[in-house]
Amino acid sequence: MLKPRWYKVINDLFGNKTRTVLIVLSMAVGLFAIGIILSARSILSEGLTQSFASIAPSSGTVRTAEPFDEDFLESVRSMDAVQQADARRSITARVEVRPGEWKNITIFVFADYDDIRVNKVASQDGAWPPPEREILIERAALSVIDAQVGNIILVKFPNDTQREMRIAGAAYDPAQLPAQLDGTPYGYITFDTLEWFGEDYGFNELHVIATNPEDKDWAQQVVNRVKDKAEKSGYTIPLSMTAEPGQLPMDDVLQGILLLMGFLGVLSLFLSIFLVVNTVSALLAQQKRQIGVMKAVGGSTVQILGMYLVMVISYGVLALLVAIPLGMQGARALSQTLAVYFNFDLLSMDIPVSAILLQIVIGLVLPVLASLLPFITSLRISAAEAMSTYTMGKGRFGKNWIDRLLSGSNLWFARKASIRSILLSVRNTFRNKSRLALTLITLTLGSATFISVFNVRASLTSTVNDMIQWFNCDAILTFDRPYRSEKVQQEALTVPGITDTDIWLQFSARRVRPDKSESGMMYMFAPTIGDSSLIRSPAIAEGRWLLPDDDNAVVVPSALFQDEPDLKVGKEIVLKVYGKEHSFKIVGTYVGTAFGTIIYSNYSYVAKVTDRVGEADALMVRTQAQDAASVKAESNALEEHLERTGVGVSTVSTLQNERAEAEVIFDAIVSLLLVMAVLLALVGGLGLMGTMSINVLERTREIGVLRAIGAPNRGVAQVFILEGIAIGLLSWLMGSLLAIPMSHGLNQALGGAMMGVSLTYSYSMPGLWLWLVIVIFLSALASFIPARNASRLTVREVLAYE
Amino acid sequence: MNSSTVNSKPSDPEPLIDLHHVVKVYKGLAGSVTALNGIDLKVFQGEFLVVTGKSGSGKTTLVNIITGLDRSTSGDIWVAGTPLHRLGPEKASRLRGKMMGVVFQSFELLPTLTVLQNVILPMDFAQRYSLREQRQRALYLLEQVDIVEHAKKLPAALSGGQQQRLAIARAMANDPAILVADEPTGSLDSATAKAVIDIFEDLAQQGRTVLMVTHDKDIAKRGSRMITLLDGEIVHTEKEEGSHA
Repeated sequence: MLKPRWYKVINDLFGNKTRTVLIVLSMAVGLFAIGIILSARSILSEGLTQSFASIAPSSGTVRTAEPFDEDFLESVRSMDAVQQADARRSITARVEVRPGEWKNITIFVFADYDDIRVNKVASQDGAWPPPEREILIERAALSVIDAQVGNIILVKFPNDTQREMRIAGAAYDPAQLPAQLDGTPYGYITFDTLEWFGEDYGFNELHVIATNPEDKDWAQQVVNRVKDKAEKSGYTIPLSMTAEPGQLPMDDVLQGILLLMGFLGVLSLFLSIFLVVNTVSALLAQQKRQIGVMKAVGGSTVQILGMYLVMVISYGVLALLVAIPLGMQGARALSQTLAVYFNFDLLSMDIPVSAILLQIVIGLVLPVLASLLPFITSLRISAAEAMSTYTMGKGRFGKNWIDRLLSGSNLWFARKASIRSILLSVRNTFRNKSRLALTLITLTLGSATFISVFNVRASLTSTVNDMIQWFNCDAILTFDRPYRSEKVQQEALTVPGITDTDIWLQFSARRVRPDKSESGMMYMFAPTIGDSSLIRSPAIAEGRWLLPDDDNAVVVPSALFQDEPDLKVGKEIVLKVYGKEHSFKIVGTYVGTAFGTIIYSNYSYVAKVTDRVGEADALMVRTQAQDAASVKAESNALEEHLERTGVGVSTVSTLQNERAEAEVIFDAIVSLLLVMAVLLALVGGLGLMGTMSINVLERTREIGVLRAIGAPNRGVAQVFILEGIAIGLLSWLMGSLLAIPMSHGLNQALGGAMMGVSLTYSYSMPGLWLWLVIVIFLSALASFIPARNASRLTVREVLAYE
Repeated sequence: MNSSTVNSKPSDPEPLIDLHHVVKVYKGLAGSVTALNGIDLKVFQGEFLVVTGKSGSGKTTLVNIITGLDRSTSGDIWVAGTPLHRLGPEKASRLRGKMMGVVFQSFELLPTLTVLQNVILPMDFAQRYSLREQRQRALYLLEQVDIVEHAKKLPAALSGGQQQRLAIARAMANDPAILVADEPTGSLDSATAKAVIDIFEDLAQQGRTVLMVTHDKDIAKRGSRMITLLDGEIVHTEKEEGSHA
């Protein structure tokens, strides 16, 4: 037989189901958010790492200008520092996605699809290996070229050979940047098919795994040794790069997402704490009289405290029963969504035990800790005061400046307008200031987060705009080799719709450090400065942009200083270009992503020191039309014309495409933020509902008096609904101000993770107004049910209420 | 039972409840209110003391101070030789659980516990009886107040009179020496009120000390001694023989 005190706990838990559901939901939402974030973080961190490791990721890649064969591959494999090596042919071709519309496609050729040893590619669907004269497409790229397995596509190689090929299957190649983010599809064929395209046999890419692949410096040395070996063997190396150990492609985006999730997890935790404190305070307010009775019949503080701690823990257990399974499902769904986004198969979706345990600790311990203060405060009240017959107030309203501000002659206009019920609601809002503060904190944090999400989204858009606004052109074409700049520009201007042109040089470079070690591959872009209006200064993070009379000045991405911490603006940087070292001075940094290090310098100087005066590697054009479809059509026409004149075009990019691709990358982050914002808004709304329920219960006698003096049901309900809306509006106001520093912090964190510099700050007015509408709706809804219940009680019932 | 059979002469010369110059001041927005203004009072074992007075005279405050439900501003309160004024809320609670049973005008029953559980609750807190003994004693007490057949019901299912009987049974749970009742018949009709007062008289006759607050003059006459409060002071004392103190 249980002791009666525990029967009271059980009966209180299950006797008032509405209150129990409200409290459990309030706790469960916060725990659910924490569970999703903790578990998804763990699954993604570990699962993606495991998945990536399973493909035998390369330590680095060396590309040769001339094809090599298996003999050279074997010689690389036999190097002591090389644990494993593999070779493939990599070709940038074009695929027709729609009639007249071509897209770049990277095609890989393997000698033996069943023996890929580094950066493994696997079958996803359909045929394996690709049959002769057919092609496999990377699974994430099918949507990029708007095709399915079984479709026929037209592929054009750089030697102008065009073939129709059937998509025989889909491949899974997680070592590549996800096609839907990068915009570049990937295809896989055999050497027989390559021969059908008129290309010679041979590899041009070496992928190596160093003997100690976790050591990046060592890996870089190994890649450099392989590059040196290739050069000594007579091969030209246009590209070599060292990978970050264990880092999958788009790792910085992933880190940005994980960072955000961590931040939101902490925020959820804080909100949960406030919600629990608020809820427990409200619960104790309801139970005050009964606490007094228990004291009167001999209950000690410890005994009574024990009862309510067990009750709070019980609420925590019930909340965990809801939150843990839902959190597990949510974490798996979120992880799977992000894995698809990064084009990875998660080998394991196991929820880490540590995440569950932490949830349990948070679900049980935190409510107890958060409840201690309201417990102790309420138990300190004497039994007599606790049991004193409820009156319409303790006569404290009017004591402080807030109360005085809301009453008396300050509100002279109330004599002229019929707003008594509004005044009553506004004053009621401030009657229990501590409860109001707790509710406001919860709602304000939710408001600030919601508005900040929109601010971050606007900031991302501003950042993308800043990143591409310096290209004052509509399309960029890169060539398969250098051409005379004068020729390509003249030919371009003969194409209808092309109004202006400019050119640049681009090539790979490596930084040579003071200790003579070399960095990974970077790219140098050398546009003409000042002569053309087609390139403007990018968003400069530090220093300045290039000037027309600059000689050896360079502007580097802000993210470079993370990898090369000894560099700074004003310092010298030695770059090896075409095998020769050149000294440059860093005059500025620009806001750029870490997707490849691009260094800008003046065309006139760079062309001179590299003996490439009068050459062009890429062409920028401005078109007459500005709509996306027309720009694309005119770009395609330009490409066709240049091809006819013997200029080989490798890639064609419109600025709209570039913007869209950049935004796709950020969309995942924004989507995640929105989901979390909705959750937090829900937490805030539940908190408000709890507060309003208790407010109604506490003022039941007051409601009776209102009804007794003639207030209609609607009038009674209106008082409470307006009170709820008043709280919501206050939270909106405070949240809109708190969102300013919160957005700055998020911009700094996200931008720092992805680009080494904060995002360009932007405050979203649409987000602000949208939240206003939502919070008014939420507040009204949260108040409606308690208000409606209050208005339905009879006068006799409420005046007899004890 | 009537007053003539009550032996008003204390069997124990030491008072069971002894108040020396007890003052209670409430501070509020409108200023300070002195609810008790230097009360001196002795209550002896076996007495049936009735406290009367108009609203606001300090009756409930006096009872709350005596039972330890509230603390005095100054003055000494001795209960069964224990200085209640020096005890903290915890020890006062424990003393109250063992020595006193309190009955309230509005019954103050716990709505989510059954009739039987409400009676057992004080025993649960005091931990003087085993679980089995608690249940047996509770059933016995409910029999004494004639509501044992409602043991499994919730308080809301009982009439006002039955609820007050339940409250009395609860107050007797730990066999207290002192029974304190604050307006116990305030919410009852006259017939039920009479029945309740009969119970108090029986308890007094059994040797318990009963302290009852009422503004009903007829009920007040049932006690062995009556004191009248006015503005926080005892202005009149009347013993059952009719002589004034």
